[in-house]
Amino acid sequence: MKRNGVAFWSGAAVFLAAVFAMTQVVGNQYPFFAGYVILQFIALAVAWSILGGYAGYVNFGTSAFFGVGVYTSVFLVSAFGAPLPLQILTGAAVGALMGFALGLLTLRMQGIYFSIATIALTIIIETTITNWRYVGGAAGIQIQRPAVTAPFDSYVQMLFFVQALLVVLAVAISRYIQNSWIGRGLQALRDDELAAECTGVPTLRLKLIACVISGALMCAVGAPAAMYLQYADPGSAFNLNYSVTTLAMSLIGGTAHWSGPIIGAIVLGTTQQFLTVTISSEVNVLVLGVMLVLFVVGAPEGIIGLVRKLRGNRKEGEA
Amino acid sequence: MSKKVSKPRSISRRRLLATAGAALAASPLGVDLLQAQQAPIRIGMSMPQTGGLAGGGKASLLGIEIWRDDVNAKGGLLGGRKVELVVYDDKSSAAETPAIYSKLIDVDKVDLLFAPYATVPTAPIMPMVKQRGLLLIGNFSFQVNSKIGHDMWFNNAPWGPPDSWAASFLDIGQKAGGKSMALLTADQEFAQNLAKTAREVAAKRTLPIVFDQAYPPNTVEFSSIIRALKATKPDIVYVASYPPDSAGILRAVNEIGVGDSVKVFGGGMVGLQFGAVMENMGSLLNGVVNYNSWLPEKSMYFEGTKEFFDKYTKRAVEAKVDPLGYYLAPFGYASGQLIEQAIKKVGSLDQKALAKYLRENTHNTIVGAIAFSPDGERKETAVLQAQFRGVVDKNMEQFRSSGKQVILFPENLKSGELVAPFEAARK
Repeated sequence: MKRNGVAFWSGAAVFLAAVFAMTQVVGNQYPFFAGYVILQFIALAVAWSILGGYAGYVNFGTSAFFGVGVYTSVFLVSAFGAPLPLQILTGAAVGALMGFALGLLTLRMQGIYFSIATIALTIIIETTITNWRYVGGAAGIQIQRPAVTAPFDSYVQMLFFVQALLVVLAVAISRYIQNSWIGRGLQALRDDELAAECTGVPTLRLKLIACVISGALMCAVGAPAAMYLQYADPGSAFNLNYSVTTLAMSLIGGTAHWSGPIIGAIVLGTTQQFLTVTISSEVNVLVLGVMLVLFVVGAPEGIIGLVRKLRGNRKEGEA
Repeated sequence: MSKKVSKPRSISRRRLLATAGAALAASPLGVDLLQAQQAPIRIGMSMPQTGGLAGGGKASLLGIEIWRDDVNAKGGLLGGRKVELVVYDDKSSAAETPAIYSKLIDVDKVDLLFAPYATVPTAPIMPMVKQRGLLLIGNFSFQVNSKIGHDMWFNNAPWGPPDSWAASFLDIGQKAGGKSMALLTADQEFAQNLAKTAREVAAKRTLPIVFDQAYPPNTVEFSSIIRALKATKPDIVYVASYPPDSAGILRAVNEIGVGDSVKVFGGGMVGLQFGAVMENMGSLLNGVVNYNSWLPEKSMYFEGTKEFFDKYTKRAVEAKVDPLGYYLAPFGYASGQLIEQAIKKVGSLDQKALAKYLRENTHNTIVGAIAFSPDGERKETAVLQAQFRGVVDKNMEQFRSSGKQVILFPENLKSGELVAPFEAARK
């Protein structure tokens, strides 16, 4: 366990160092724009998986959390000109509150009913923002970036690094949960909530913890997106696309292990970015659809499940 | 002997020269020299080809492609350089365009940029082009430069000053004796922008707003809203709606009526510019006064307009876009004409010089003369307000003839007078 921990943290340090070096060496801006989007989806998928994967509560409200993160930033920038770290922290706090409310919902709702409630949550929040003129309302709002701080040359490079930090944070939390009593409890309640409750697993407390952490992370990921786009409108910020893509990434990667959503997000996110600038027509929507169907049919446990199965087969063959 | 020796030597010298020449031609420098005249002028853009804006995006792109083919058929620009378009799909989303335009600028290294169709995908790239000092030809976005203040932005849309849209519609209404206004708007970006200016203009003219309601997107049933509106007995009804709701509103009006007090009805209804929607609505359109950008009235034909629509009509079938294509396609072509004229006059691709030329001159296009104000929008509005007349059901071809949409505004393009009140004009 300890050796694993050392390997994980040194991996994370190498990753951050590489990202930082990239911001200092690479002059071309495009890798940062495309990379930012991919990192954003990795963080979202990992955050989603804490509730959706470990606890099995399928949350369609990713776009609600993401959008609230975006609009928290928009509000803070227009009202106080708040700096980026404050935007992210406030986003996380608001997300935690929202997650707590969502967690209370799970008291009465399970399975498909919970999922439907999360879609409703998205619609309610989007409608509220649409009618809130101070943050632009339906017409959207343009916001100006402040000057970039050293050692970065451009704001996008800085956002790219910040997003990488959020990814490491999300993965570390997700990994901790999986290996701790919380993860084991969540797994128990995913398999059978009633049985878990009967054997003394504090299901409500666990679900609340999972919702709060997952919500806070998703909102925190949304917060820098306002600065990335320098524009926010409810239609784009609460786009259902965020929910669907995040879910697809987790499913393609596999939800049984913390690394599943990362693999899924890298595979799907890179493919999406690649298709946008190559095929670039209706066909790219089709390609994604086909990919999803293939994975659901061919690898229902995701890439992680597939790899485990193949390994298992090989071991059996050897024996 | 000596002759024998000298012969191969002379050949080898010739060979040496030839090889050296070939090597020079094949070297990077030589390739550059040879290709300099042939390298295409590359224009980069994103265009909504999937998602909510795809219908308009595809029609607009077809207009730009027709311009590209025309210009290349004439031998290209700057001494024979062909024009090439680099186009990516932005899925109608604001989240996609920053990465796409960074790819166009930093990786593809295109020579010039066009903006995507509509406001939402354009808004995020405005700060980027300003920061990098790049010329951007806008494509039907609304007031995206008002906060940014980029002096190398030129919008192809006929909007003009932001309040002119509402002002022209209220002018028509007030001339017909209108003394109060009702405002019915969709809770979406474009409609809310229109509503805002309408309220401001009404306040300036001390025209009372007796009804002001925004309805959520995807509303389908409008009878209760129309009943409430009718009860306030307005003279002018200004509607800013999106395609599905435009149809719903007109159906409700047809069933319930809006009352005899109403002089003019319409103004900012999106959807009534597209062939399929108009064919579908048929006679329900009669009497509505609505905005448009181009119409087949006599006053709207400029040099090249007819030839453009001949080509468009043929290619629209293959491209599966709006068969009429009045709203966006000719303006896509005009974007190309703007840049074509600027490049010809400036004689290079220097973006600052091109922007200076565009800012300081008037440009003749297939949609009329275009001159820009300092914010990059049209100096004067060319948004048409036109009244539907004598429209019958289920006939697309009728909209190709003049007289089905009579232009009431602007004055210089006018092709008829308003028929009022609205209930009389509907018959």
